[in-house]
Amino acid sequence: MAYDLSFGWTGTIGDVTLGATKADGGTRSTSYRIGGGTTIPFLEETAPSPTPLIAFEICDNPVLWSPIIKDYCGDLVNNPAEWAKTATNDYKADLIRLHLTSTRARNFTDIGSVGTVVESVLSATGLPLIIEGSNEPKIDSEVFLKCGEAGQGERLLLGTAEAGRYRSIAAAALAFNHSIIAQSPIDINLAKQLNILLREIGVPRDHIVIDPYTGSLGYGFEYSYSAMERIRFSALKGDTDLAMPMICSAADTLTIKEVREADPASIGDVAVAWEFYTGIAAAAAGAEIICIRHPKTIGLLREAFADMKTHPDAAEVQ
Amino acid sequence: MRTVTFIPSYRKIDVERGTTVLDAAQRAGLNMNVVCGGQGKCGKCVVYIQSGRTEFDQQKYNRFFSDAELAKGACLACETFVQGDLQVMVPDSTLIQEQKILIDGLDNEIDFHPSVRKYYVELHPPSLSDPSPDLSRLLWGIQKNGGPVAEKMYAPIEMLREIPSILRHSDWKVTATIGLVPGGYRLLDLQENDTSSRIYGAAVDLGSTTVVVYLWDLVSGKVVGVASNYNKQISCGEDILARVNFARRNGLTRLQALATESINSAITSACNTAGIDRDDIYEVIVAGNTVMTHMLLGIDPAYMIAEPYVPVVRRALSATSSRIGIACNPNGGLLTFPAVSDFIGGDIIADILACGMGEREEISLLIDIGTNFEVVLGNNEWMFSCAGAAGPALEGGEVLFGMRANPGAIEKITIDPATLTPKFSTINNLKPKGICGSGLIDLLAELLVACVIDRTGRINTDIRNPRLRKTNHFPEYVVAWAKETDIGKDIVITENDIKNLIMSKASIHAACVTLMKQAGVSHREIATIYFAGAFGNYIDKKNATTVGLIPEIEINQIKNIGNGAITGANIALINRRARKTLDSIAHKIAYIELNAENSFMDEYTSSTFLPHTDLGLFPNVQKMLETCRIRKE
Repeated sequence: MAYDLSFGWTGTIGDVTLGATKADGGTRSTSYRIGGGTTIPFLEETAPSPTPLIAFEICDNPVLWSPIIKDYCGDLVNNPAEWAKTATNDYKADLIRLHLTSTRARNFTDIGSVGTVVESVLSATGLPLIIEGSNEPKIDSEVFLKCGEAGQGERLLLGTAEAGRYRSIAAAALAFNHSIIAQSPIDINLAKQLNILLREIGVPRDHIVIDPYTGSLGYGFEYSYSAMERIRFSALKGDTDLAMPMICSAADTLTIKEVREADPASIGDVAVAWEFYTGIAAAAAGAEIICIRHPKTIGLLREAFADMKTHPDAAEVQ
Repeated sequence: MRTVTFIPSYRKIDVERGTTVLDAAQRAGLNMNVVCGGQGKCGKCVVYIQSGRTEFDQQKYNRFFSDAELAKGACLACETFVQGDLQVMVPDSTLIQEQKILIDGLDNEIDFHPSVRKYYVELHPPSLSDPSPDLSRLLWGIQKNGGPVAEKMYAPIEMLREIPSILRHSDWKVTATIGLVPGGYRLLDLQENDTSSRIYGAAVDLGSTTVVVYLWDLVSGKVVGVASNYNKQISCGEDILARVNFARRNGLTRLQALATESINSAITSACNTAGIDRDDIYEVIVAGNTVMTHMLLGIDPAYMIAEPYVPVVRRALSATSSRIGIACNPNGGLLTFPAVSDFIGGDIIADILACGMGEREEISLLIDIGTNFEVVLGNNEWMFSCAGAAGPALEGGEVLFGMRANPGAIEKITIDPATLTPKFSTINNLKPKGICGSGLIDLLAELLVACVIDRTGRINTDIRNPRLRKTNHFPEYVVAWAKETDIGKDIVITENDIKNLIMSKASIHAACVTLMKQAGVSHREIATIYFAGAFGNYIDKKNATTVGLIPEIEINQIKNIGNGAITGANIALINRRARKTLDSIAHKIAYIELNAENSFMDEYTSSTFLPHTDLGLFPNVQKMLETCRIRKE
């Protein structure tokens, strides 16, 4: 049965550039321009969609990181730079997402170490970097400024701005020309509100990536999917306040009951399967960046994307 | 028994040990401020125990008090139990203050055509050649004097028992009172001699907080007295839910009695001002919300407060006033307004009557904001309505320095965007005690325009100004310094207060949009927005639009009808044609249950933004805010 898939949409998803190569004043070996979509992805009748980018998540303090990942990656988890290098060369990630989990320790004050970690990861990989800063309003401002400064010129993607705290991260992004992840709790209106707030303090639209908040498959993902679908439809219908690329990170996937209680012998496979299916569903909902934590998920997603209607290239490499 | 003495009034009352101080105070005749109905939730019934033994859990309620206050014996009257003889200090702020009660309605001319009339007749006594019965003789006489057709008039048996003696004792010169009731014309009263100039009617707005009475001379068509007072049911709980729950526990009798008492005392004071006898009032029209009407009539409202929210009766009801206990002529009639649902009651039908939206082709939006809000959208052909809880923020609840529109409340505020210095005025020009609803809306709009808060209501803590500060809990803006106030404390608005206000305004706006979507009407098609109720009367229309409380339309197309309930009741009292339309208006209105409306939550979330997530709905506000932002930068 044939469906009319033209929809009459007039909007285009805005572009966001991640990473800066030498030509752009940075040191990345690759940079991406994501966005630019004019319809929903993977439709048969339309032009191939850009392949979603896969971001591999690492951290600088693995205390609370999933034991499944710690088992798989071994000692790497204690060395963010090496971990990033392996993710680039062996795991073949498109992006590295560094979580500054060290800043979440109680009474964290060593702001200087933040810069050191960011610099070491930047020199260990040529991939564009996503950096997740602190989770504590009191040190937000200093941490984000430090990240921004350490990555000056590299067109980082800084996370995560929320309606309750967006000023300090926006200030860092504006000062050093980085982009921002804008997260709202699974709601199209709240996503739009945050984008308006960011716009009004001067963050340009092409520096914002929407994080609609992603629950794990079976644990709220259907809400995320529906919110993403609505965000994308509104954008394609012409709402420029929602016409940004989306990033999904279903980190809960590794801690859900089915994974926790899986047979120890196959726990890794169950975790990968869960992460993979959540990731592929998020891509179908329109996400431009899929974040994952298990290295084995990368290959599976890549294989799946190749079978879907996509460009051979990952996004537009500049 | 224990003796409790309340100072500074030195009222004494003997109560059983274990009675709450609140109970004792009420029995001693003190009108305490009990927002939650005595459940220990609102923290308004603060008293200070001066001496004597009590039981009060300081730990549990310490959020309401500072240590200094606790040391002085502060406690909640509703949660403090009398153990020994007590001396209790009741601060002024705990007592219900005289409130700005709205008694003005629209000043529209209403055609004078009342439903009760008096006819003075002089009859020929019967004789052998003219032996027609007393009743037909009387009714014929009335018809001949301009009254209704004799066959259409009906005399109840109680009247028939009195007719023969009155006719003969007065030497066949009598004054008959005829009322138009749903079944036809009814002989309400028969008096000796000519009393035809003495016939009055009362229109009553029975609100859950206040009762307003207009007394009309039904011969001249003039208002001869106006009175208002508190609804005495407040002592059983401030909001309706608390009162229905009170009725569930203690039966309906007390609430029914308090409702009639409240009406009666207002009628009495109106009569006293006008110098007339209550017995000359032959008709009382009551417009009240559905629960109030049920309670007045002694009908159990218990089933209305739980799903599926059904009232016992919707239609307009008439009864002999003596059966309800209303202080007027015992044969006088009482008419209550019809309702649409539990939540759209007679008060809203009265608003509709008052603004006349049901007679015009153009589309109007009526918003009545009180403890709850009601919204009606429509014209002469169709109407949709809905109701919801706006939360208490607009009435001063859940806002740190919020208060009702009592003397001393800040009611208007402007803020200089450069210095952030406010200018405000208070009710009765007293030193400020707190901020009432209209002041809060002003504050919200002015803080937004001055770029102190962002569109989600968060205070920009990067701004350096002595009026902006961060305390343990939330950032706050100082409206008045302690030395300027009457309470010796800085009056502030916190980010949390602002959040509560935004939630209130969002639910009202979302309700408007839900109705507009239901009817397929855009904000451009709305010709007029009517504000009913006290809140609407004092609110700044421009600021209400700026914060997105109401859809954006031309400012001069936003109108206040003031107390629409009393205006509607007045119209129904003196215009029988309008009264006839009541039931049909009520039937025309479709009620939309917001809880069952999937899109409502969505509309609500998009309304929790200043003015709205869809800025296209507020083009002028958006333009204005852009300008302010640029100027600020």
